[in-house]
Amino acid sequence: MNYFFAALGLVLTGGVAALIFHRQFLFAKGFSLLLTVAGCALGLASLALPSDGPAADWSLTWLQIFPLSCSVDSLSAFFLVPIFLICPLAAVYNIGYQDDAGASLKTMVGVFFLNLLLVAMALVVVAGNLLTLLLAWEVMSLSSFFLVLYDFKKETTRKAAYLYLVFSQAGVLLISAAFAIIFGSTGSFLFAGAATLPADIKLLVFFLACAGFGSKAGVFPLHIWLPHAHPAAPSHISAVLSGVMIKMGIYGIVRTYLLLGSQDPLIGQAVLVLGMASGVLGVLYALGKHDIKRLLAYHSVENIGIIMIGLGLGMLGATLGNPVMAGFGFAGGLLHVFNHSIFKSLLFMGAGAVVKATGLLHVDDLGGLIKQMPVTGRSFIAGSVSISGLPPGNGFISEFLIYFAAFHGLSETGANLILVMLAIISLAVIGGLAAACFTKVVGIVFLGEPRHEELRSVGEAGSWMSLPMLLLASFCLVIGVFPEPFINAVFRTVAQMVPALTVDHVLVATVGTNLAWASRLLLLMVLLIMAVRKAFSLRKEVARGPTWGCGFTRPTVRMQYSGTSYALSIVSFYRPFARIRTIWSGIDTIFPKQAAYASRVDDIAEIALHRFLVSPVAFVLGKLRWIQHGHIQLYIGYIIGTIAVLLLIFFL
Amino acid sequence: MESILSFGVALLVAPLFPGIILKVKAFFAGKKGPPLLIKYYTLVKLLRKGFVYSTSTSLVFRMGPIVVCATALMALLFFPFGGVAPLLFFQGDVIVLFYVMGLGRFFMVIAALDTASPFEGMGAAREAFFGTLAEASIFTMLILFYRMNGSLSLAGYFTGPEAISQTAPAGALLLLVIVALFMVLLAENSRVPVDDPATHLELTMIHEVMILDHSGPDLALIEYGSFCKLLFYASFVAMLIYPFHQFGPVLAMALFYGAVALVYVAIGITESIMARLKMNLVPKYILTSFTLAFFAVILSMGISQ
Repeated sequence: MNYFFAALGLVLTGGVAALIFHRQFLFAKGFSLLLTVAGCALGLASLALPSDGPAADWSLTWLQIFPLSCSVDSLSAFFLVPIFLICPLAAVYNIGYQDDAGASLKTMVGVFFLNLLLVAMALVVVAGNLLTLLLAWEVMSLSSFFLVLYDFKKETTRKAAYLYLVFSQAGVLLISAAFAIIFGSTGSFLFAGAATLPADIKLLVFFLACAGFGSKAGVFPLHIWLPHAHPAAPSHISAVLSGVMIKMGIYGIVRTYLLLGSQDPLIGQAVLVLGMASGVLGVLYALGKHDIKRLLAYHSVENIGIIMIGLGLGMLGATLGNPVMAGFGFAGGLLHVFNHSIFKSLLFMGAGAVVKATGLLHVDDLGGLIKQMPVTGRSFIAGSVSISGLPPGNGFISEFLIYFAAFHGLSETGANLILVMLAIISLAVIGGLAAACFTKVVGIVFLGEPRHEELRSVGEAGSWMSLPMLLLASFCLVIGVFPEPFINAVFRTVAQMVPALTVDHVLVATVGTNLAWASRLLLLMVLLIMAVRKAFSLRKEVARGPTWGCGFTRPTVRMQYSGTSYALSIVSFYRPFARIRTIWSGIDTIFPKQAAYASRVDDIAEIALHRFLVSPVAFVLGKLRWIQHGHIQLYIGYIIGTIAVLLLIFFL
Repeated sequence: MESILSFGVALLVAPLFPGIILKVKAFFAGKKGPPLLIKYYTLVKLLRKGFVYSTSTSLVFRMGPIVVCATALMALLFFPFGGVAPLLFFQGDVIVLFYVMGLGRFFMVIAALDTASPFEGMGAAREAFFGTLAEASIFTMLILFYRMNGSLSLAGYFTGPEAISQTAPAGALLLLVIVALFMVLLAENSRVPVDDPATHLELTMIHEVMILDHSGPDLALIEYGSFCKLLFYASFVAMLIYPFHQFGPVLAMALFYGAVALVYVAIGITESIMARLKMNLVPKYILTSFTLAFFAVILSMGISQ
């Protein structure tokens, strides 16, 4: 693993160098970018080297009692690819995004923590035992906490970062509990010990770990921190957090599942149900939100849901002995991890470009930006098509694999059949709602007329920002049109991950080829129709005029349909799950002067958490407030008293 | 060869059938009605015209009609008209096709939003909303079809000895599906009672309001695309109504297009005797279709176990 560690060393050096040279803004930026990109390239290359693979495990004992070890298997390698691919692109984007030399130190602190986060995420996925995983996980959580806190002068940012800290520490507590059970019954930090646990303990460990890792991944109802933290962080950070970091939660769930090797159908069923809930509710709340970055954060919840549906189908299929369902489920889920990291970081970068150019985040303030920002607009549309799961984007490929798994699960019986049916229907609903949501974002933000005059004079994002967006948009299309190598690669990962599973290679190859040809056929059709249109438009006059106002002669830009009105009828259809609050001043005179209308959609998980957990706990703790009085002598007294009581208990 | 021929015939006759709907409606209204070939004349007229573009629009507005038409044509490529094997098919093609048509809807909607017209935005929002519900209904039917013959492709559904038909085992369930699919057909193709293609008030339109600003060949592409989409759904219903595969290709084709014509007559009758629903009732209408399909699936669990 020498090359791998060398890669991480380069990245970390890049981060430290940024801090050291922060007075020379341009040099520090350039130098750290160079090291980061070189490190990530080396990291990607090291994955391809056979000598760097599982044969070269690495271990050492730290402070006598802490054994640390790292090893790369196929699952780790799979999750390393998005880490080493997306993070350097975010770093490149950041060159153009944070170009204020006056805030040099702050920017460089951001660069440092981003590189630290990169290293920590890489260590999480290569961790070879429980302790290493926990340590790397904690470094990852803390470095990402500081990244969320980047704009610390804003109160909303501080609140968001605090919320994130609470969730990540509660999550790590649950993970530690799960690992402590494994350690307690085997007496070692080795991963291998997990497989020897009794069956019911395995279930307990899985659900504890699932809750802990799920809170990082943003699984409903533990997703509450995401829509606060992502908008608070700068956009390139959001791209990494949403594109890469939350996938570490998925990695944790898959790793725990594989280590336990439990054959209980309850695990697959639970993951499937969590996936459906996250998917449908995530996209629903996304529709109800009109802050671009908050909306994208909810789409992360949705996509985590899709990934979990895939993995849940895989786990269920493995338990039920249905190889097609298992193989395609795991493969679809994993491929969606990769695909989501691409289009979600692309969309966050697009949102960042909009924010940088306009300073506005609410969709109803924007409009018509594709004319001023053609590159951003077009790549954002490519990302939108992909995230909506529509061909020829890459999102369709992974969703198709999951559908394929689900349809092959229809031969099961009883509760499993019902769950599989619900999975198919929820995937269809998620797909439709995601398309509705992204037509909203694209249509309201980039198309139509600008809703403010200032928007007419904004400029395109600089080339440092456009380049990563263009690259990511082309990845989306390339994976969509040439899916075979990616499908084959992900099935190879699945085969090594679950060796008991035998997936029909001919079937996999056929599915890949068919999908490839379907995408190409679609593009061909579009080209053909374009040619037909061209033929009919030769020597035709092209007139330009205003949009027809349906008889109304004085339309203004403020009359355009807004994002709120676009989404309201859909959201209100799902009302029990999305609480809509409207504030409407009403019109009570014959010649009304001013009226105000506002509506917001609330997340039921947030309401329930507040009502059933935070409020009761705050009430009880409020009663104990007298313990905290600020007298240091008494605090020392508490400590002595506690130790005395503990000693008494211990010795009696 | 047969496949190419059947695809070509479908492309040719797609604009013919909407004329039947107009004839039926005229019959109910006691009028003579436009000629049967009216839609061909309209297409030719539109193709000869020039373009008018709104100053608000961008490239997306021009891409809209192209994608809409391309996706509708792609759906026809995979359809086994009259049980004749289609040009292309593979396991899973239905999922691809409904997603491809979803792409058509995506571009239709963003092209409408590109015009900055509040009416077009309204139509776009409705199209997006009703589309999500219709998709759930369609995928429920696909679940049933998979349980009936283990296939995931249109060719698998309607060709070969295992074809889905009312004479096959569990054929009675198709009655529910035919009604459900016909309801989805009306919703997805903007017919009464979901949308009224003949209405004159933009506020109440869905599909027609989204294409207000398209002109000339662009409008022709959209119109032709929607004829193809309607033919796709009508053929789907027709294939469920009657099993054609035991006849020779020529007779099967004749019978098939007869059944398709019947579906269009049914659309015409529905449009003549029903008023359109209020907008807030449309979700309930589509959910009725979903419920029927879901009920059929539940029944299938009893039959196959």
